[in-house]
Amino acid sequence: MLEVRGVTRRFGDFTAIEDTNLSVREGEFITIVGASGCGKTTLLRLIAGLDQDYTGEIALRGQRIAGTSLERGIVFQEPRLLPWLTLWDNVAIALDNAPLSPSAKKEAIAAQIALVGLTGFEQAYPAALSGGMAQRAAIARALVGHPSILLFDEPLGALDAITRMRLQEELLRIWQHEGVSMILVTHDVEEAVFLSQSIVVMDSHPGHVTANIVVDLPFPRDRSSAEFGAVRREVFGALHDNAAVKPPEIEYLI
Amino acid sequence: MSIPLQPAIARLETPRQSGFLSSLSRIPGIGIAGIKAFFAGQRYIGAILPLVILGLWQASSSFGWIEPVFLPAPLKVVQAFWYMLTRQDLLMDIRASVFIIAQAFVYGTLLGVGLGFAAGLSRPVELFFGGTINTLRHIPTVAWIPLIVVWLGLGAPAKIVVLTKSIFIPVFLNTLQAIRGVDHNFIELAQALKLSRRQLIRRVIFPAIVPVVMITLRYSVGLSWALVVVAEGISGLEGLGFLIFRAQNLLMTDQLLVCMVLIGLIGYGLDRLLYLTQRRLLRWQRGFGGSYA
Repeated sequence: MLEVRGVTRRFGDFTAIEDTNLSVREGEFITIVGASGCGKTTLLRLIAGLDQDYTGEIALRGQRIAGTSLERGIVFQEPRLLPWLTLWDNVAIALDNAPLSPSAKKEAIAAQIALVGLTGFEQAYPAALSGGMAQRAAIARALVGHPSILLFDEPLGALDAITRMRLQEELLRIWQHEGVSMILVTHDVEEAVFLSQSIVVMDSHPGHVTANIVVDLPFPRDRSSAEFGAVRREVFGALHDNAAVKPPEIEYLI
Repeated sequence: MSIPLQPAIARLETPRQSGFLSSLSRIPGIGIAGIKAFFAGQRYIGAILPLVILGLWQASSSFGWIEPVFLPAPLKVVQAFWYMLTRQDLLMDIRASVFIIAQAFVYGTLLGVGLGFAAGLSRPVELFFGGTINTLRHIPTVAWIPLIVVWLGLGAPAKIVVLTKSIFIPVFLNTLQAIRGVDHNFIELAQALKLSRRQLIRRVIFPAIVPVVMITLRYSVGLSWALVVVAEGISGLEGLGFLIFRAQNLLMTDQLLVCMVLIGLIGYGLDRLLYLTQRRLLRWQRGFGGSYA
């Protein structure tokens, strides 16, 4: 459904990503991993339409993308909630221009807030929310317009380990519930193996795709299983080929 | 005042306390904790200093520390206030001054926020006005008064014009700066959410600059209220500023003090109004409340 073909993005003399290809199937969950500076966020911003200054082609369902669209929902690294709006209004703002009746909007917003488990906090201002709650609200905002693909820019990177694991499980649940395609940018290999059907490994100078690893494990995945460990090693291996990234010696016993 | 939960225990725990606090604490129902609570962080704490000042003032006249002609006793000032209210036109003068600041506030704010927005949203507008306004701002408001009075006479319009300018300039500059300072991440978010330019202004930019604009308004209204007094003193036939300078010329210190107190109280009232508006508009903000433990 989403095709990225031969995309190059330069900032002056600096080439952020070069001749990058990527393809996402309908309803597929892929992750992009790589060390910081490999251009993974740049690529995501191009797909989101926040940055349009590139060569190559990005097409969604055969349509070359032009600018941002609610078709492509985005969740940023930080929740980016508007502090002067309540949680409800922060989600509702995504439907400001939707051709829906007020009651249909209300229903959609309430359903989305319920999906991310924030029912009861509708009238809270962002300052009163925890980091995990705020990020859930941001996910609800990205989902409420029913996008065909959801883009995540390291959305769980700033959260503590326990909240992160819980939200990973929720992301999976939301993905299964909504049937929406997802691209998640992360530098957390375990997160990538836990969540995605396919892992795109990127390297820097200039940013490009070095490997595409298919994760053929059933959901929900057992982080401590041997198969999980094998895929994790494979991804670390691909990263290791790029740079001096060593897989950690310890095994996770979760 | 708050009654301590366990006055009996509070009394038991402080048996060796002596002096004023402990003698108060022996009154049934008032513990030492209650007295502390009364002074510490409670709403009445703001009344302490004015009462002390009033006490010192009264003492200085009772004990003859200062000649009455320089500092009349508080009661004399209250009498003067009553005299001015009933025999002179004090209310009319108050109204004249408040009328000027109120009009100048409305015009200055509308112009400042309006033009600040225009400049904030459009580079050409900013370039067109920016340099001129930044130059004009260095001419003190007081320096404008003589010229404007020559043009518009001694009445209210001249003062309204001058004060509108004194409110307009900081409001304009800070509105512009606040817009320039809106977090770019929010602009990007608006793009991702496909907000129109109007929606961006209404839902993102406007609320984002309210904190800065409110602080600017409070600051410039305070400043302009002082300037009303100056303007009326320099040129005018009514208003609190006129009265205060007339009182000085006639050595009517009691009337002079009446005006000073009134100017202070009205200024406090104006700021209070703006403060309450600010608090209402900024409910969403959770800043530093002052306690840190």
